[in-house]
Amino acid sequence: MIIGRTRIELEPRLNSPRWLVLAVPLASVFLALSVGGIFLMLNGHSPVQTYSKLLSSGYTTFYGITDTLGLATPLICTGLAAAFAFRMNLFNIGEEGQMYLGMIGGAWAGIALADHLPALVAVPVVLAIGALTGGLWVLVPAVLRAKLGTSEIVSTLLLNYVALNLVNYFIFGSRGFFRDPSTSFPQGRAVSANARLGNFGTTNTYPTLVIAALLAIVLWWFIRNSNYGYETSVYADSPNTARYAGMNATRLTISVLLVSGALAGLGGAMYVVGPAGKVDPGLLQIGLGYAGIVVASLARYNFVAVVITAILFAGLRIGGAALQISSNPVPIAIAVVLQGSVLLFALGGEIFRRNRIRIRRTQPVVFSTKADA
Amino acid sequence: MNSNVWVLTFADGISIATTLILASLGAIITERSGVINLGIEGMLLMGAVTAFLVGDGTHNIWLALFLAVLVGMAMATVHAVLTITLRSNQIVSGLALVIFGTGLSQFIGKSVEGKPRPVRIEPIDFGALSDIPIIGPVVFNHDPITYLTWVGALIASWYLFRTRPGLVLRATGDAPATVDAQGVSVAAVRYAHTIAGGALVGLAGGWFMLARGTAWSQAATTNGIGWIALALVVFAAWRPLRAIIGAVLFGFTLQVPYTLQGQQIRIFPPEILQMLPYLATLAVLVVLSTPRARRLLGAPTMLGQPFVRDER
Repeated sequence: MIIGRTRIELEPRLNSPRWLVLAVPLASVFLALSVGGIFLMLNGHSPVQTYSKLLSSGYTTFYGITDTLGLATPLICTGLAAAFAFRMNLFNIGEEGQMYLGMIGGAWAGIALADHLPALVAVPVVLAIGALTGGLWVLVPAVLRAKLGTSEIVSTLLLNYVALNLVNYFIFGSRGFFRDPSTSFPQGRAVSANARLGNFGTTNTYPTLVIAALLAIVLWWFIRNSNYGYETSVYADSPNTARYAGMNATRLTISVLLVSGALAGLGGAMYVVGPAGKVDPGLLQIGLGYAGIVVASLARYNFVAVVITAILFAGLRIGGAALQISSNPVPIAIAVVLQGSVLLFALGGEIFRRNRIRIRRTQPVVFSTKADA
Repeated sequence: MNSNVWVLTFADGISIATTLILASLGAIITERSGVINLGIEGMLLMGAVTAFLVGDGTHNIWLALFLAVLVGMAMATVHAVLTITLRSNQIVSGLALVIFGTGLSQFIGKSVEGKPRPVRIEPIDFGALSDIPIIGPVVFNHDPITYLTWVGALIASWYLFRTRPGLVLRATGDAPATVDAQGVSVAAVRYAHTIAGGALVGLAGGWFMLARGTAWSQAATTNGIGWIALALVVFAAWRPLRAIIGAVLFGFTLQVPYTLQGQQIRIFPPEILQMLPYLATLAVLVVLSTPRARRLLGAPTMLGQPFVRDER
């Protein structure tokens, strides 16, 4: 790009220096807070006060931190789900719906099966069935993508709206299996006590957090060390190379999307096993599926980084909720604004991490054309 | 139930189609230049909340729509800077815009949440013409923007296929290197059309709020119409005139659940009916992905690819 007599060139870096790997996300967070601050001020709130309350309630108090960890648990799962698919350039953006289906599947197992199972087996069964239903929800988009090349972006997204209405149907529109028969108030039927995990003490943190974090490490290890992980990495870099090397693109595409859906579904099942204990429309309000996409992108599809990013993000959300309890409440949506802007700035910052920017003075171009803009 | 109800449903479908046509025209123009902007849903929401707030404050419909257009352009500019200049991933940038737009519209719309629509874009009064059976409600009962939208689709089609800038635009999406070799700036073409597309999407959101919306109800206001518009682009094979046909069909599908509910026809529970437009869209996408359909469609070849000239 040439501006006047200054020429700006991008030179790809072979490896990014360590300080930049940290500086880009930190700068993104700072810039996002500034953008959020402008909107806070326009809305008559003090950015400094709002942010200090947001950060202190999400990250410093004991219950703040444990609430954050509790909310982070399903978010880690949706983040892993997005990372698993996105790193192979398969843009599954249906985590939201897959998570709802995981909640439905998990609740089904918790109601229908858990009573007949020993407590030790019941929870894993509930989680597994939740993962299975989440995976099945992405089966159609996965097969379409692999066989016909149908854009998985639009198909997975459209199914989110179907899943949303499905949950609403089960709780508000029918008096079927998933609805509590003992009351006319629309709420989910409670799963068997066998299918629940107790919380830690009086907090909102559940042992599922440990499962989610361990899962992230297992995935990280698996992708680095397994043949399958190697194949997905090759395919991500160059689908043609993968094809020449005899890798089965159809099988890879379908399996990656199914695993991604299963991870999101697991998040929904963890919500059943942990705080909810039923099909709970509360999950529809917090957008953990969409947030998972942001988390995965910020973590640059690194599974271990997903865990950390998810916890940071959950803190924003918990802090955001605390902001509403005040004489001049700040809408909780500020947390979503911050998420969106962090992602936008982080995306823009990528180029500085990947490239060295060179600014040179140039001789005036004699045969000037517009071509170089 | 009488046939009149279905005529009205169809007329309503045509009315809803205005949003779909505007949004998909915006997407077509953007995508023809090789840039895919998935942020439409977020831009619609921002356009809608802007129109609501301005309409609430000034009761001036045209100012409200104008600012909705500006907001759409601003968001498209963000996408353009990120994807064209900074060469970010277009998919992720679009998704970030959806999240940002959803959050920001909720944030600034909090004070008017649940409040009824302040001003309404009224249909043009055609007098006796609108009383003609069938043709009256279908053709002569819409507001100025709806008619402008139809004209706009005609103009867009003429621009794309009959003018030189339109030719350059299509070439930029299909073979940017050739355009570059001709001495035309690929970046400039992409910027211009991404931002122009954003203007149309912003208008779509603003119009939807003031003509179809009843109250500002957060993300449920648009309820995924932006994604349906994106599917519509594929359906229309990136051609403005086909987008009209598709939009009317999709608009009709979106309206059917409400008609059936209004008529007390309970073949399906309402929640199941609400799924239909999304399932129908998905079904259409599937049919369009068959190899035979694909040959006929012709998506811009370099859609989603950043253009970097091979230097030296």
